[in-house]
Amino acid sequence: MQEKANSTILEVVQLTKVFCDFWRRPKVRAVDGLNLSVRRGEIFGLLGPNGSGKSTTIKLLLGLLHPTEGSIRLMEGRPGDVAVHRRIGYLPEVSHLYRYLTPRETLLFYGRLFDLSARERRARTDQLLEMTGLTAAADRAVGEFSKGMARRLGLAQALLNAPELLILDEPTSGLDPMGCRQVKEMLRALADQGTTILLTSHLLADVEHICDRVVIMYNGKPRAAGNLRDLLATPDRMTLDLPVLDAATTRRLLQTIRETCDCEAELSRPSMNLEEFFVRVVREATNGASAAPEAATPRMAAFLEK
Amino acid sequence: MFRLRQAVALAGLTALEALRQPVCLLLILVSSTLTALLPFLILHRFGEDGKLVRDSAFALHAVFGVFVAGYAATTALSRELESGTALVVLSKPVSRDCFFLSKFVGVVGVVGVFSLCAGLTTLLAERVAERFVNRDGVAGFVTDGQTGALLIAVMVAACVVGAVVNYKRQRPFGSVTTTALLGGLLLCVVLASCFDRTGQWAPFATRLDWRLVPVSVLITLGLVVMSSLAMTLSTVVGMVPTLASCSAVFALGMMSDYLFGLHATESLWAGLLYSAVPNWQHFWVCDQLNAGGSITGGYMGLAALYALVYASALLCLGTVLFRQKDV
Repeated sequence: MQEKANSTILEVVQLTKVFCDFWRRPKVRAVDGLNLSVRRGEIFGLLGPNGSGKSTTIKLLLGLLHPTEGSIRLMEGRPGDVAVHRRIGYLPEVSHLYRYLTPRETLLFYGRLFDLSARERRARTDQLLEMTGLTAAADRAVGEFSKGMARRLGLAQALLNAPELLILDEPTSGLDPMGCRQVKEMLRALADQGTTILLTSHLLADVEHICDRVVIMYNGKPRAAGNLRDLLATPDRMTLDLPVLDAATTRRLLQTIRETCDCEAELSRPSMNLEEFFVRVVREATNGASAAPEAATPRMAAFLEK
Repeated sequence: MFRLRQAVALAGLTALEALRQPVCLLLILVSSTLTALLPFLILHRFGEDGKLVRDSAFALHAVFGVFVAGYAATTALSRELESGTALVVLSKPVSRDCFFLSKFVGVVGVVGVFSLCAGLTTLLAERVAERFVNRDGVAGFVTDGQTGALLIAVMVAACVVGAVVNYKRQRPFGSVTTTALLGGLLLCVVLASCFDRTGQWAPFATRLDWRLVPVSVLITLGLVVMSSLAMTLSTVVGMVPTLASCSAVFALGMMSDYLFGLHATESLWAGLLYSAVPNWQHFWVCDQLNAGGSITGGYMGLAALYALVYASALLCLGTVLFRQKDV
């Protein structure tokens, strides 16, 4: 069991993708010699600015693009294998949805592609619609949806098969702060239950909150990789966390530290980040109740609770 | 079995998405309305109203059908590739071959719905066309105004039903109107079969020219070939080049016997082009009806085989191209 938990679910070796023009002349080297491995049960972040090759990498992993060089080993199979895709959930950068279908029809359709029984399809559809706060809009055409609602539906379709590996391309893009918080809480909960998550984002605060390991890409090449805590640690500094002290005590304490350690010590008051403050204000405004679907704490769909 | 269920789901969705689009409904409605109005629009009669209506109606069926096939195919494939919905579907346990071929089946479904509407309207419009009647005290040229009025009423009623259902239940206007139109036309055919041109009760199925049905089926087979061409082209180019190419192939196919067939024995190129371009003359047999003949089962079988071989070859090419494609 432990062995399975530590095993590699995805192994990429020297992955390269060169896009060509109409005449087959090389145009862009989108991914250049990428190596990475993702372990079961972790949240792995693929970071980088726009055009750094994140989405191309994900499409290569899913077999939607053909690599120019390199190899990909995904769940003991190859990208594009139907058997492998049964165990994967994918949310693209933009929630590409059929405009003339309703959310219910959309989820039922994807359920058919996974060969779920009619009963299971209906049950999962209802659970995911409730989980993503779309029950009230379940029978409206998706073409009328806001970007945030489309994103929620995109997330629901990615979770439909209770995937072992969840691949998310910018999962929080288009969501309001409450929606972002919900998604992050849900991803953390899924990872705790054993789902492996590979995500890309340029919202670094989101990644910092939830990722275990990251690779940072630029111009198609990996520039830094490793455990997030190790990468962000500043080994020559430390913080002392104390309750608020009176001015005289604080001065004495700083004086003692400076004399004892012969170093500079600074005093600062910790502050919450804007997202935490926003969430607190909205929760207080709704008295902690779920006045709007967006304010509701996400209830994990039963089939995702392993 | 799993693959089959997937294919059914994909084909059903393709047909549904296409039929819900306003462009598809517009093509179906314009083609049906023009066909329904033909008996009233034709002014130079010379006692050949039936022939003129038949020829014009089948021409509308073929021309609009090429656009329906081209539009449905590009919506199903190149547009899905551009919009990214294909990307999501292919990230599910769906093979590329299954995706491509299911999309084709869905497009054929749309062409089938269009052809059913066009065929039924042609059947009714031909009945409306002026004919000489000499029976039960009526002698002279009679236009079947009742059936004509019923046909126009069906078009209007289908739009009203679509609008009401859209307003009340927020269902898509396009697919509801198309379904209502199809239902209305079937009802109209049943009613027209029960009464003669003067409005008198007549035995069922004797008052419509059922010889038109195989002609409609043959045009539909031609449209299936055009659908496979449009699907294959959609794997490499977008909507406008696909529609332009389909129109060009349709025009060449109509003139194939004259452009290439006459020189096929003398010139290698003419021979090759004569084999490569789908020959629409095989699917265009109106002249046979006008000469008083009918279409035999054997000919239908051969034409179906020709369409099957042609469509299969194009689909094989399309499948190979789609396998190589970066989505």
